[in-house]
Amino acid sequence: MQFELSNVDKVYESSEEIKVYGAKNVNIKIPEAEFMALVGPSGSGKTTILNLIAGLILPSSGSLKHGGEDITSMSLEERTKHRLDYMGFVFQDYQLLPILTASENIEFPLQLKGFSKKDIKQRVEWALTQVGLEKLGNRFPSQLSGGQQQRVSIARAIAGRPQLILADEPTANLDSKTAQEIIELFLKLNKEFKLTFIFSTHDQRLIDQVRTVLYVKDGQISESRVHHV
Amino acid sequence: MNGFAYLVKFSYRNLFRVPRRTLIMILSLSLGCGFIIWDLNFASSGSREMMKEFLSQYAGNYHITHPEFYDAHNKKEFNLYKTMSDDELVEKNLIQLSTKRVNAPVFISGEKKTLGVLLTGLDVEKEKKISTLYKAISEGRFLAKSGDKEIILGKKFAQRINVSVGKQVATVGQAIDGSIANDLFTVVGVLDFGGGDLEESLAFTQLQSAQELLAMPLERYHQRVSFDMDSEIPLSLKNHEISKWTELLPEIGVSVRFIDNFTWIVSIIIVVVVSLGLSNTLMITFFEREQEFTSLNIIGAQTSWITASLMVEVFVMGTIAVLIGALLGFAATTYFNYYPINIEIFTGGKPIIMGGITIAPLIRIYSVPQYYWQVPLMIYFFLILTMIYPLIRVIRRSKNAV
Repeated sequence: MQFELSNVDKVYESSEEIKVYGAKNVNIKIPEAEFMALVGPSGSGKTTILNLIAGLILPSSGSLKHGGEDITSMSLEERTKHRLDYMGFVFQDYQLLPILTASENIEFPLQLKGFSKKDIKQRVEWALTQVGLEKLGNRFPSQLSGGQQQRVSIARAIAGRPQLILADEPTANLDSKTAQEIIELFLKLNKEFKLTFIFSTHDQRLIDQVRTVLYVKDGQISESRVHHV
Repeated sequence: MNGFAYLVKFSYRNLFRVPRRTLIMILSLSLGCGFIIWDLNFASSGSREMMKEFLSQYAGNYHITHPEFYDAHNKKEFNLYKTMSDDELVEKNLIQLSTKRVNAPVFISGEKKTLGVLLTGLDVEKEKKISTLYKAISEGRFLAKSGDKEIILGKKFAQRINVSVGKQVATVGQAIDGSIANDLFTVVGVLDFGGGDLEESLAFTQLQSAQELLAMPLERYHQRVSFDMDSEIPLSLKNHEISKWTELLPEIGVSVRFIDNFTWIVSIIIVVVVSLGLSNTLMITFFEREQEFTSLNIIGAQTSWITASLMVEVFVMGTIAVLIGALLGFAATTYFNYYPINIEIFTGGKPIIMGGITIAPLIRIYSVPQYYWQVPLMIYFFLILTMIYPLIRVIRRSKNAV
């Protein structure tokens, strides 16, 4: 099922006179197994577009659909449920819960989804294996390096086998070697499991690896390129 | 693991995210809880012990009188013509735990003055077994069982009419047949109640001497006074006129109620103060995790789930705190049960006089079972109030966080 943004505007109004466009006339179609990056300077609107796709904010105008279903007509609770069912998230600063071990962090969204104990165990083991942390499941985030924490964050995002993974500057806090490893992990997951990835990034190494690059400027998609990788 | 069990596990883990802060919160709550339980036990035991001591000295727990002893139209006015006998009491156990008395307002004349007093005729042998009146004798002796026309007076009364032990006093009153009752009595003892009003208004003689003075048959008497402090009034007495000590001595009942209510008010104030501090700490704790709540919401946790986890967190903390608090309260109460508190430390060594009687200064504290659930319940109630504002802020902020 593809995600689709059509003629989406997001306007922030601080007063009747002052209006700021976080997104302007955005049209994006995200097919299955897409590997896409939103690129642009800070404040260009990349994160606003990611938030719109995730249903974290609603457009001021335009439509936002997933498999024909209109996300904008959903309530706050329904959008949260929609994210839980169909999306995974990878954050720049990992956002792991410090009180839970790596395994328990991966388990968290699975618990919210109501999976059985056996299913949760299998999925956590599978996700840990995919990110190469099979032996570190019992460690707390504070006992892991930045790269390892980002791997746990990725494992948490993929464990529920979502259709779409949104990653906001996923390599920004990592050293170049670790960043490269993480990019290779994204590529592997995209190829092996046909997972759709959308990144917001400045990282040229990641930009070089994605299939579609959307350049964002002043809330608008100013240019798009497709790499045939 | 089902959803709720996972929520509890998650909240429990969160509780120890900043262990020192949580421990301080638990400590302040449990100390508050423990202190309040101890304080309420102390107040209850203190007033109970004082009340018991006071009542065991003279007044008793309840008075049983002939159903017509008090005039039906003016209930509390003495009608001396109505008396009762043992046959009118079915409950034999009650007879064991109570004593007969005859009461008559009389005038007593000493060398200087004639003053009114309530003369009480006592069953001397029984009275010595179940009341402690004889312990209040400061001069002379208590009434002798075989003695006749002996009288003991309150210290102040004896001073006012200027008589001492060994002297004779003239007593004038009204017999139950309406005739004038008068006789001579020998002062054998002086009662010292610690300087209270009772010393001016009471005099005691043998039951038989009082019966003779009032021209009463020997099997008749005015009252049975029960000294069984813990018992409720038997149902078999429903046809009799019963006065509980709270009616007979309302000022003592009011004092006990005042002490209990005042202690509750102080307890509530303590909990409110602790709650205000706790509310502030909770607010800080919740706001520190604001970014985390946003992330949880992004990855699929509903605001209601986040709110529930915070509530469970506070309740888990509250439960740990009240359990420790109850244990602390129990331990402190038990300690002061073995080592009673001398309440004269609160009066600068001066004796405590209540209702005209000096109270023994040592208070042994007993646990009152209901405080062990009432206080935790009160703390839970205030915890809910404490949580409301921080939670509203969290809900509002998490909805507008992105």
